Amino acid sequence: MKSLRRYIKKYLLTFVGFIILLMLLNIIAFMLTFRGVIFKDFGDSSPQKMLERAADGASADGLTDEIILRLRQNDIWAMLLDEDGKAFWSVDLPAEIPTTYSIQDVAVFSKGYLEDYPVFIWNTDAGLLVLGYPENSYAKLISNYYSINALRTLPIFAVVILAADLLILFLAYFYSKHKIMNNTIPIVDSIKALSDGNPVSLSMGGELSEVAKSINIVSEKLSKQNEARANWISGVSHDIRTPLSMILGYAYRITENETTSESIREQATIIRNQSVKIKDLVQDLNLVSQLEYEMQPLKKSSVRIAKLLRSYVVEALNTGLPESYSLGLEIEPNMEPFEFECDERLISRAVSNLVQNSMKHNIQGCDIMLMLEGGDTGFSISVLDNGTGITPEKLQEIHTKQHYMESTDDHLNLRHGLGLRLVRQIAEAHHGRIEVEDNVPSGLKVTMIFES
Amino acid sequence: MDNSFLKTKKIMLVDDETELLKMVSTILADDGFHNIVTASNVKQGLNMAKEQKPDLAILDVMLPDGDGFSLFKQLHAFTDIPVIFLTAKDAANDKLEGLGLGADDYMVKPFMPQELLLRVYSILRRCYKEDAGTIPLTGCSIDLSRAEVYKDGETISLTAKEHDLLEVLARNAGKIVTIDMLCEAVWGENPFGYENSLMAHICRIREKIERSPSAPVSLITIKGLGYKLIVERE
Repeated sequence: MKSLRRYIKKYLLTFVGFIILLMLLNIIAFMLTFRGVIFKDFGDSSPQKMLERAADGASADGLTDEIILRLRQNDIWAMLLDEDGKAFWSVDLPAEIPTTYSIQDVAVFSKGYLEDYPVFIWNTDAGLLVLGYPENSYAKLISNYYSINALRTLPIFAVVILAADLLILFLAYFYSKHKIMNNTIPIVDSIKALSDGNPVSLSMGGELSEVAKSINIVSEKLSKQNEARANWISGVSHDIRTPLSMILGYAYRITENETTSESIREQATIIRNQSVKIKDLVQDLNLVSQLEYEMQPLKKSSVRIAKLLRSYVVEALNTGLPESYSLGLEIEPNMEPFEFECDERLISRAVSNLVQNSMKHNIQGCDIMLMLEGGDTGFSISVLDNGTGITPEKLQEIHTKQHYMESTDDHLNLRHGLGLRLVRQIAEAHHGRIEVEDNVPSGLKVTMIFES
Repeated sequence: MDNSFLKTKKIMLVDDETELLKMVSTILADDGFHNIVTASNVKQGLNMAKEQKPDLAILDVMLPDGDGFSLFKQLHAFTDIPVIFLTAKDAANDKLEGLGLGADDYMVKPFMPQELLLRVYSILRRCYKEDAGTIPLTGCSIDLSRAEVYKDGETISLTAKEHDLLEVLARNAGKIVTIDMLCEAVWGENPFGYENSLMAHICRIREKIERSPSAPVSLITIKGLGYKLIVERE
């Protein structure tokens, strides 16, 4: 989520920076383009410079040759008027330009043009110097006045406008950021939910509704796939049950038949024991897949855990444990009245899986003990045995390696049972966790911990 | 424990898998049941139940012309024989539905034959008590219908609570009965906190049935779990 915020911020800021850069580039391009013109307007041949030089070299007799040459190079005509408005002399004066002027004439052309020739005047000791530039070479502003106030306000106005522009630019930035975040956060959230394996349903209008629709379709497809997978597993495990019942039944019958030869009975015992393994696997597989895809609704009720454990142990003892095993129960006195909101069937199943796990890994027999402990912070159910335990490498594996059900690695060890995984899933479905550790001095201890 | 009187009971199996019918019949027959009838759908099952009047029915849930649950309901319209569902449907809902209807047990395939036999015995024993109403113990016998104990020629009466406790223990004779089950039998649902009262009642029962109450041989304590009644068989 934070990364998206950073991403959008970065790109909008880049955009703002780009606009500022563009403005600077415009100014530079403007300066480069108009540099020549400006140099010309205010350079050597500008009316100002020309007037100054001509005035220096002008007298009642005429202009110096050097000045005349310069004027001709630039197609400029010149004349000097005396106090009465008559020309003392003129240089290259066009035919249509008169040589005598009244005061009114002077006042009018001094501001602008003489017969479309832009003219510039300079007051010298000898008289009024008039330079006429070629037609269409200069534009003269006839009404060139501005109030002082306006000119004084201009710099402040420019600064304020610039500041306002920047402010508007940043407001636009924050608005865009806000808008983009508002539109994209639900999308990113739902993608995250999808990646966690949760179904999503996104309703959005506007331009992004297409994206929302696609996400919904993906979610629906995933749910359907998961459902199909769970149903497939459930179907297979259902169909395998009746045939397996028959294998178990007949294998049992042969083992119990005293007229059958010893070796055949032994083989039947093996068939029976292996079928029991398949039976356990089938039962676990279905539940694991249902829990995995959250298709198993928890049937929660208030359960006295002490009672649950006691009836589990008693049922196991009444059904008859093999002689090499013993099963005991220790309940902390304060845990006797304790009630836990849980799915009784699942918790009982988890305990049963742990006990069977201990028996499976200690075929020579072992003592198994169930313990219920707890306090203010929660409670735990432990299953301990004094059997062979597990090697440190194996313990490490349980903690770090993925189970094959949730991995796509082809080289994983497929011989792990589902037993422990189911226990973990059941614990997690009740917001608990499991811990696997060595039992001192020997054996294994698996604990389901539920914190309150 | 002697189950011979139960083996005369007639058991009806309903399942659409003929192979499975054969297998379950064989297992029951191996164990001494010689009165077994089978049906492979709801209709046959109903007719069979009407004609043969079985003592126990073992029903599959998925049948070609309906489901075991509806067969159960139809059966119960004219008989109240005990029923065990034996099915491949293992969802919690199915189990709850089956037991909720009032079935005596719900077993999921694949099943261990021994387990099926144990459950059949347990249900038959519960539903068809031996005609002889007395329970023989070491050194005495109990008549629950009269709530009396006969020890060394003496008749000792049982209180109501003692009677209820002994009834649960006798029904599960030879098996451990949890403290919770015993308390529930006497004090109803959620009986937590009655452990000490239970112990007192057990002590009084022992005084009535045991030769040496401090070293009991019939009513045994299984520490931390419950009690077990050891019944003598002649």
